[in-house]
Amino acid sequence: MVTAVSDTSKSEQLKGVPFRLSAFASVKLTVLLLVLIATTVLIGAWCPQEAQQGRDKVIETFGSDFGAQLIKYGIADIYHSPFFLGLIGLLTVNMVACSVQRVFPKVRSLAQPMPLLKEDAIAKMTVCSSAQYAAPANLVLQSVQSRLRSHGYVVSSTDNRLAAHWGKCGRLAPTITHIGLLMLLLGVTITSWTGFNGFQAVPLHGVMSFDQSEHSKLWLGQLPQWALRVDATRRENYDNGDAKQWYSTLSVVDSHGKVLKKQEISVNNPLSFQGVDIYQSSWGLGSIAVSFNGKRMELPLRQMGPVIHAAFLPLDHNTIMMFSVHGQDEPVRVFAKIPEWPQPRILTVLAKGQPTVLGSVQVRYDDLIPVTGLQYKCDPGLFITYAAFAFIMLGVILAAVPHRQLWVDVIPLRTGGCRLVIGGVSRKAKSTFEKNLAKLRQMLDREFAPLQEEEASCPMFN
Amino acid sequence: MSDVQLALTNTAGISSVASFWAFAVSNASARFHGKLTKVGLAVLVIGFVALTGSIVMRGFESQRFPLSNLYESLLWFAWAVMGAYLFFSRSYDVKHLGWLASLTAATFFLYGSILPASQHDIKPLVPALVSYWRQIHVPPLIVSYAMFFLGGLAAFVQLWSAARLKSVLLAMAGLLAGMAAVALGTYTETNSFVLQGLFVGGSLLGIGTAWWQLGSFKATAGNKARADMYDEVVYRAIMIGFPLLTIGIITGGLWANAAWGSYWSWDPKESMALVTWLSYAAYIHLRIHHECSAEKLSLVAISGMVLTLLTYLGFNSLGFSGLHSYGRFKESGAFIQASPVVSYQNASDTLLS
Repeated sequence: MVTAVSDTSKSEQLKGVPFRLSAFASVKLTVLLLVLIATTVLIGAWCPQEAQQGRDKVIETFGSDFGAQLIKYGIADIYHSPFFLGLIGLLTVNMVACSVQRVFPKVRSLAQPMPLLKEDAIAKMTVCSSAQYAAPANLVLQSVQSRLRSHGYVVSSTDNRLAAHWGKCGRLAPTITHIGLLMLLLGVTITSWTGFNGFQAVPLHGVMSFDQSEHSKLWLGQLPQWALRVDATRRENYDNGDAKQWYSTLSVVDSHGKVLKKQEISVNNPLSFQGVDIYQSSWGLGSIAVSFNGKRMELPLRQMGPVIHAAFLPLDHNTIMMFSVHGQDEPVRVFAKIPEWPQPRILTVLAKGQPTVLGSVQVRYDDLIPVTGLQYKCDPGLFITYAAFAFIMLGVILAAVPHRQLWVDVIPLRTGGCRLVIGGVSRKAKSTFEKNLAKLRQMLDREFAPLQEEEASCPMFN
Repeated sequence: MSDVQLALTNTAGISSVASFWAFAVSNASARFHGKLTKVGLAVLVIGFVALTGSIVMRGFESQRFPLSNLYESLLWFAWAVMGAYLFFSRSYDVKHLGWLASLTAATFFLYGSILPASQHDIKPLVPALVSYWRQIHVPPLIVSYAMFFLGGLAAFVQLWSAARLKSVLLAMAGLLAGMAAVALGTYTETNSFVLQGLFVGGSLLGIGTAWWQLGSFKATAGNKARADMYDEVVYRAIMIGFPLLTIGIITGGLWANAAWGSYWSWDPKESMALVTWLSYAAYIHLRIHHECSAEKLSLVAISGMVLTLLTYLGFNSLGFSGLHSYGRFKESGAFIQASPVVSYQNASDTLLS
């Protein structure tokens, strides 16, 4: 009976759906596409991707020969390959077809009231039970009704029959999830066509514009005319010297230099202005400013470990001067190395702003110039994407709710008692449903003494 | 780590081993079956309570949410496996699953206990992890992994109940190949490609031949009622794990967008989570539309379990890299050499310190 209903509704659902679209509405196709996409993504996770980690990483991981082959055949850029994009396109068509043909019409069918079924229809259900009681039919039905209501069932009934359901919202799960997935595709498409992003390492007091932004080839967006100035930037450490947080104070400036907004950002705390978000993504010491006899020089710093940075200044062919830096507020140690010395020798320690004479030269450590790594992006489809996330989450949560449908027919007997037939459907939690039904029977047996042991007529007792 | 926390963790570990033996012997002994099942359940409850206390204490000691490295995530995973089994034992007669759930918890305790001491120590967080998103994003993922594992274990019992013993053994061999690769990758310096080959090749071969066994040979006997019940347990576990995985992936996207300006960057760990999500989406479609038998669905659930293992532990131990390397605990020389500072590394050690 249940199959007959679903077959009818299936043929009704097919009405009005274009044939070409319905050809794509196959669950087997869905599963095949999911498996192919999963396999492709798995390969993408295994092979470093050029777009994310760079071509060098591919060569470094697999060697020059095999790496070159992976690059040549598009494995190292698999998410932009026609094969992967084709799979996504086909899945989109499949999802639209399934949604139009099967998923969305379910919402309409849910609005219809449950039919009140007769004894023989209920007896065919996989979960059913029957019993005879000495009590009048209406009394037994009322008891069933009140017990079901107390367990949260929505009940509709006539004199001798009853239909009840629980967790109807669970049936909405596929509809809501599919709407969410389609919205996600829309949001991503809008971002791809109008959004942009990029990264710049900006020194203290430096200015960043958006001229070097990255965006898709098919692009309808516009780059901002304003720029960002780094007013201050610093690193906060734990007691052991490890980085705890990085901070940058940024000013949004227009083409006339007017400050439009000012904010301190840190990791997980970005600045947002006119739809563009700027993130603190990395931090480092860029250079050291040192004066020699009053002449200022900026020497680039190189990271030598988790804490130490160093600048190297060749004095002649054999002599190198080195400035070792431990942190922004720490003094700088000055070393020198000549071929005759097995190891560099420390010459002096410089406090900030205090000159020291080394031979004939007066050396002064003026400043450390940090560099802040700023990531930025403009994502006009974000609102739709976030709404899609909400729909998808709601949909998958509802999918865990089991929808239970239950029918009861109470037939009055000539002897004055009645015969109760109760059955139902629960596709997601059949065992629990069976247990609940058995419990209901036990309670009814306690309330109304059963007349005799009912002969097995339901599949449940076969 | 304080002595009290250590004692609580050890209690949980010993309880999981004890409950494994109680459940295992209960399955073998018809005479003491009922009593030993109750003992196994009671010991597991003790372990669960002790582990809850241990995690809470670690949170107090570290003054942060205690889920920031591989060791802590293993504690959460074992806690979720134990809790999920206790949850299912209230609604279903899942005593045949008890020894597998306890064994899984015990294995993860063992795996966690022989990690380097630096993993057990409470350490400050790196800047990227200093965010309220950490406690929103990570727990649903770890609990979803635990639910998928429990679903996979129930799938083994379903196959066994349906008298598909060869398929059980072959699929188990596939899973063990994956686990062996993870263990080798964690504790030895075996080549990454060998490990990846062992994981992917072993699990594909095991599950593939198990699938072929289903199609080629008819089951001779079996306990249909029990097989049906475990089929439902698999489905229920997945239907709890799937929303949690979805929430974990989406909140991860929201966090990434807040931290890095991009909610999806095809990072290997993200990609693996998507692969796992897609595999369970396939399972749900197959199940809802009755496209294949309960036994084949069980093998799909076991495949999902293997992918979950790859996502959760394989990522760190089989040589993947990316933005989610917080769980990585080896001070890998290769990692340092990949950095441009390598030529200055020795200089910094000898010259400047």
